Amino acid sequence: MKEQDPIVFVIDDDRMIRDGLHSLIRSVGLRVETFASAQDFLTAKHPDAPACLVLDVRMPGLSGLDLQVKLGEGGIPLPIIFITGHGDIPMSVRAMKEGAHEFLTKPVRGQDLLDAIQKAIASDRGLRRDRQELNEIRARFDTLTPREKEVLDLVVAGMLNKLIADQLGMSELTVKTHRAHVMEKTRAESLAHLVRMAEKLRTSTPK
Amino acid sequence: MKTYSAPSRLRVLSTYALAIILVSLALFVSLALQHTFGNPFWFFFSVAVILSTWYGRAGAGWLAVVYSTLAVMYYFTPPLHSFGVTPSDLPFFLTFVGCEVGVAQLISWRKRTEDSVRQARDELEVRVAERTAELKDANDALVRQMVEQRRTEETLQVTRTELARAARITTIGELTASIAHEVNQPLAAVVANADACVAWLSREQPDLVEARAAADRATQGATRASEVIARIRSLITKATPEKSHVKLNQVIKETAALTAGQASKNNVTIEFELSPDLPYVLGDSIQLQQVIVNLLMNGIEAMSSVPDGPRTLVIRSEPESGGQIRISVKDSGIGVSADIMPRLFEPFFTTRSKGMGMGLSISRSIIEAHGGRLWAESNGSGGSIFQFTLPSGDGLGA
Repeated sequence: MKEQDPIVFVIDDDRMIRDGLHSLIRSVGLRVETFASAQDFLTAKHPDAPACLVLDVRMPGLSGLDLQVKLGEGGIPLPIIFITGHGDIPMSVRAMKEGAHEFLTKPVRGQDLLDAIQKAIASDRGLRRDRQELNEIRARFDTLTPREKEVLDLVVAGMLNKLIADQLGMSELTVKTHRAHVMEKTRAESLAHLVRMAEKLRTSTPK
Repeated sequence: MKTYSAPSRLRVLSTYALAIILVSLALFVSLALQHTFGNPFWFFFSVAVILSTWYGRAGAGWLAVVYSTLAVMYYFTPPLHSFGVTPSDLPFFLTFVGCEVGVAQLISWRKRTEDSVRQARDELEVRVAERTAELKDANDALVRQMVEQRRTEETLQVTRTELARAARITTIGELTASIAHEVNQPLAAVVANADACVAWLSREQPDLVEARAAADRATQGATRASEVIARIRSLITKATPEKSHVKLNQVIKETAALTAGQASKNNVTIEFELSPDLPYVLGDSIQLQQVIVNLLMNGIEAMSSVPDGPRTLVIRSEPESGGQIRISVKDSGIGVSADIMPRLFEPFFTTRSKGMGMGLSISRSIIEAHGGRLWAESNGSGGSIFQFTLPSGDGLGA
């Protein structure tokens, strides 16, 4: 599957700044979409591509920080580059805690912003790849029958076939068959691989 | 000043002396004439009595009468050189004495009347002179008072202007963060656009169209920053009030721009309901701007303590009947309690911890100096509404 071109979302209520950032980011060949308010951004449709958000902290209506919280709640983990006119410490601490990617003060040097954007996009690309991989693993694991899942759990817990057979009340041969199916369905290359995949799923599941 | 006192002793004596001299003169002339012509020229005594009475008053007159009677007895009525009168000459002599007495009496009356008339006239003159002097004094005092009052008024005017300026500077102090934002914003646009311009030019195939557009925007941004600076400078300059045609809608927009930072910091949205056909007003734009800054800042302040709900400040302009313009600023804040309402416009009254408490008081004096009215009331839904009216100029100024 060919990945779409990365895109930068710029949200700033000041048209002149919006246009300037639009132009600046386009000049390095990136796609840009600008929005005058956080609401506009939330109601718009976003293409499925690596992206990052350049956000003015202080805007009328929904503020940058509010939007950050909303995006976090909505499960859209987009890297955010905050731009602020007055980088007061409590505000930046709060933004960083919520997972802001970068916090730049106005007026922003173009190169600093572009660097931050490149890093944010790279990070999003990585995150997206992880997410995709996780989705694939989850899809494969979802094909397992309940019995196979039971066997999987015990295998991952490090139990030998004999013990698994005892615990689940089945023959060792049956356990081996289930185990072979698990390895096949999850496309695990080795026991270690299977354990890693299971672990990844487990740590991401609480969500 | 002339006063009328009793004639002095010396003066009385001199009138008596005059009477004696005059009668002696009459005696001498009569004797000389009788000696020459043989007829007794007694009427010279009458002349002496008249003149004595006229110039010397009654006392001298009577003295002249007595003296001339004695002289006539002694020198002219037989027996000569004695103070006796022969019976045959008695009627003639008594007629003479009667005439003398009558003349003296008449002249004395006449003189007294004249004197009293003159005295009345003199007294009147003195009184007129006195009253004139009093009037002049009063007039001088009045002129001095007027000069003093004018000077006081001028001082007051200067003080008022200074105070208004001080309040503006204080307001600017409160607005510093907002103003910094207002200046920084266009500067950020300048930097972004200038960077973009350079970036377009540094490409392998420089894109001149994009570069030019970015450079244009950078210029616009710089212009905007300088406009903000100019607005602030006009607020702090020590300008004496100047009347000009003021377009209030424009003043409102410029002022709202200055307070935009303050508004967004407090999460307040400013809404405009500006009438497109608003006549201009004749006034001082800086002072009117000051009033609007005060009202907007108050509104923002009033809503900053509202925990929830919309924080909307509505500023509205509309022409009114009777050639008036009404500007209102409505907030959705906590409102003003009834016991505070009447004190709102008092100098140094404030509900804020910082703040001079002069904003509304100065605003009202500015609006009143422009022939308008500024007042506050509840807006019916919790918040308050501050509004002022101003007389409009003739033409459209929207």
